[in-house]
Amino acid sequence: METRQPPLTPAGENAAELRGLRVAFAGREVLHGVDMDIPARAATALVGRSGSGKTTLLRALNRLNECFEGAQTSGSVRIRLGGDWVDAYANGLAVTELRRRVGMVFQTPNLLPLSVERNLTMPLRQVLGLSRPEARLAAHAALAEARLWDEVKDRLHAPALDLSGGQQQRLCLARALALRPELLLLDEPTASLDFLAARGIEELLGRLKERYTLVVVSHSLPAAARLADRLLVLREGRVSARLGRDDLERGETLAGLMEELF
Amino acid sequence: MPAAHARTAPTQAPAHALARAVLAGSGLLAGATVLAIFAFLAWFSLPLFTADGLAGALSWSWRPMRGEFGILPMALGSLALSGTAFALAFPLGVGVCLFACGLGPRPLARVLMAVVRFMTGIPTVVYGFVAAMALTPLVRSALGGSGYCWLTATLGLALLALPTIVLLLHARMEAAEAELRLTAAALGLTPAQMLLHAVLPACGPGLFAAAVLGLGRCVGDTLIPLMLAGNAAQAPHGLAGSLRTLTAHIALVVATDSQSAAYASLFACGLILFLTTLGVNLALRLLRRAPAGRLRTGGPA
Amino acid sequence: MSRPRRGDGRMGTDERLALSWAWLSAGLTLAAVAALVGFLLARGLPVLGLDLLFGATPPLDAILGRRPVWEGIWPACAGTLSLVLLAGALAVPAGVACGIHLAVFARGRSRDLLRLGVDLLAGVPSILMGLFGFALILLLKRTVLPGANTSLFLAAGCIALLVLPYVASATAAALEGLPEPVRLLGPSLGLDPWQDVRAVLLPAAGRGILGGVILACGRAAEDTAVIMLTGAVAGAGLPAGIFGKFEALPFTIFYLAAQHQTPADLDRAWGAALALLACTTLLLAGARVMHHTLERRWKRVSRP
Repeated sequence: METRQPPLTPAGENAAELRGLRVAFAGREVLHGVDMDIPARAATALVGRSGSGKTTLLRALNRLNECFEGAQTSGSVRIRLGGDWVDAYANGLAVTELRRRVGMVFQTPNLLPLSVERNLTMPLRQVLGLSRPEARLAAHAALAEARLWDEVKDRLHAPALDLSGGQQQRLCLARALALRPELLLLDEPTASLDFLAARGIEELLGRLKERYTLVVVSHSLPAAARLADRLLVLREGRVSARLGRDDLERGETLAGLMEELF
Repeated sequence: MPAAHARTAPTQAPAHALARAVLAGSGLLAGATVLAIFAFLAWFSLPLFTADGLAGALSWSWRPMRGEFGILPMALGSLALSGTAFALAFPLGVGVCLFACGLGPRPLARVLMAVVRFMTGIPTVVYGFVAAMALTPLVRSALGGSGYCWLTATLGLALLALPTIVLLLHARMEAAEAELRLTAAALGLTPAQMLLHAVLPACGPGLFAAAVLGLGRCVGDTLIPLMLAGNAAQAPHGLAGSLRTLTAHIALVVATDSQSAAYASLFACGLILFLTTLGVNLALRLLRRAPAGRLRTGGPA
Repeated sequence: MSRPRRGDGRMGTDERLALSWAWLSAGLTLAAVAALVGFLLARGLPVLGLDLLFGATPPLDAILGRRPVWEGIWPACAGTLSLVLLAGALAVPAGVACGIHLAVFARGRSRDLLRLGVDLLAGVPSILMGLFGFALILLLKRTVLPGANTSLFLAAGCIALLVLPYVASATAAALEGLPEPVRLLGPSLGLDPWQDVRAVLLPAAGRGILGGVILACGRAAEDTAVIMLTGAVAGAGLPAGIFGKFEALPFTIFYLAAQHQTPADLDRAWGAALALLACTTLLLAGARVMHHTLERRWKRVSRP
């Protein structure tokens, strides 16, 4: 298997920087100038009420907002990829390459009605151009990384949709990991899962943040506080609070935040 | 941007570009065909656009043997037949929708809608054939004459257009009813009142769209008038009178292969028909609200 | 104007009227369809059988074309089948391509224009499509090809244009109706639009597209107005190559209805009508099954 791991951005530096980000859909502005630094190989959480713009902000990082008609983005989004700073919205940038390297996991698992293995090997073959045996190896490695291998190794050719909710979500995570991203975006990854499955994912993310930069939109403030090294609170399209690890460990700040938010 | 491990992009780019060109080309086919049809109709009716030609075409007398090629009787025939068929089909369609949306018992409503859907699969020629065999004797005994007349064709055409009207209207009414049901119940309205005073008014555009579509179906059909209306090239005198529509006229003239002198007025018929249905279509488009952007336009979360 | 309700539960006049009208409409419609199907079954069922298809000619000889069939509808069936296959071969690739372009690639102004073109084509009455084909032959006769004549190929081409909007609209609707997680999946993985179409969208929308194709086939099988003007005749026998005249089931029914000379002719017409109805009903049912299984399959994807 030929995929080399790109040079990891050292922890402590930024993996992405957003300045003055504004996003509007059909004239209606959703984000009104967001400034944000995303630390490398750490977890950054975005919280806020529904409608505050969290998902839009997340999608600005892999330019998925552009799939919606009438989307306009302005401001600067710079991401550190392969050790170099890249302007995500530069003219002539290969968007597909950006989206491979900035992986995404959605709120509800969006697997295809294929077997477990095919769900992984298809993108590997299409996007990375791997041959069938290479893709299979990469798929198995990704399943191991997502802590799913033991559970599905005997069911690789069974329909992926037969898996439980938590397993499906981990499969989506494996799929994103298989493409060797540097940044991982997760949009409320545990929102559709039961308590145990959600905890499983949260543990996994806790381990993954040592290798990958995570940006997680969370619907649950306590869960975000457990996981995040940095927490941003969004309110009506603007950043209303930024908290670091130490702030989060102090109980009162959390309580105050809960009141303010919910 | 460093290309790192992506080996797909370079070799597939030319194939992708070709594929996209083919797709774009096929898209043009539809528009090109419509333009071509219009061009042909206009071109072949061109000989008529002289003072004599127009006067000849806009006369009430179609007697090719004498060199008279007036198409007004057929135009009137189309108008009259479509009008009556629509006047029958539309109220019936509304009634069927009211029944299916709550005024009738649920199981029967389901059966009714299944039957209407079945009707869309009935070939026009089968409608015409069965009506010609079974309906004309009845009309003959009731009104005299041959049985092939305005009335028979009206009944056949109304039955043909009914499913078109019902399916569109029912879809709109169901959507409106789902939204308004709880509100109406909370206000203490009976199902009948809800349908009449809340849902139907809310479906104004839907009613208009269904009407336009149904009318278009009536005007554009060929087989029913051809098989049931008698086809006398004259203005219809009363319901028992024979008439000929523009569509039937075109079929008859081409089929009997009369002298090509008739062709110019034939294409003029086609032109009238084309412009009418074009008008119908454009009216329908203006009605439709602009479709929501692909995926969603207001995308925030 | 209805009398105001006085809380005593009685219905106003307009509600009573509406109720009566609803029942009347439903009753009339059901009665009309029942009568139609009843007549067809009563007159058509007794006629069904090998005689209907092949007349006096032995079946095997008829199918292989060794002996002509004089009093059976087999040539018409074969003609309709050839027509549908040929028209389908023309319309399906073009229609699917058009639909893909409409749903995935076209943007803004060009998309509206494209949609307009497809809608306008869908609204053209079938007789005009036939007239178009006829005019084409006239033009060719007068200019380049004096030997040009109406034929199976011309008819199939015109039918293909007639049903193109069905296929294109069904394809576009199937693609646009895919749930959002599916439509975002391709881009989020880094697939480019063409890869997305091939690997994710088309397989996902496959059944919806197939449903549209089946509907188009049904339309092609039942159409009479187009083929009347572009090459269908009453006694051509089996289709002799694509540049020759041909027989077709709907035209045979029409012809027999207008020009039957013996009771046997009429019986044959009833049989043919029943056969044609059975055919189109089956196709319609098939299309509905396709659409339902598509919905069911993809519901699982958005609700694990």
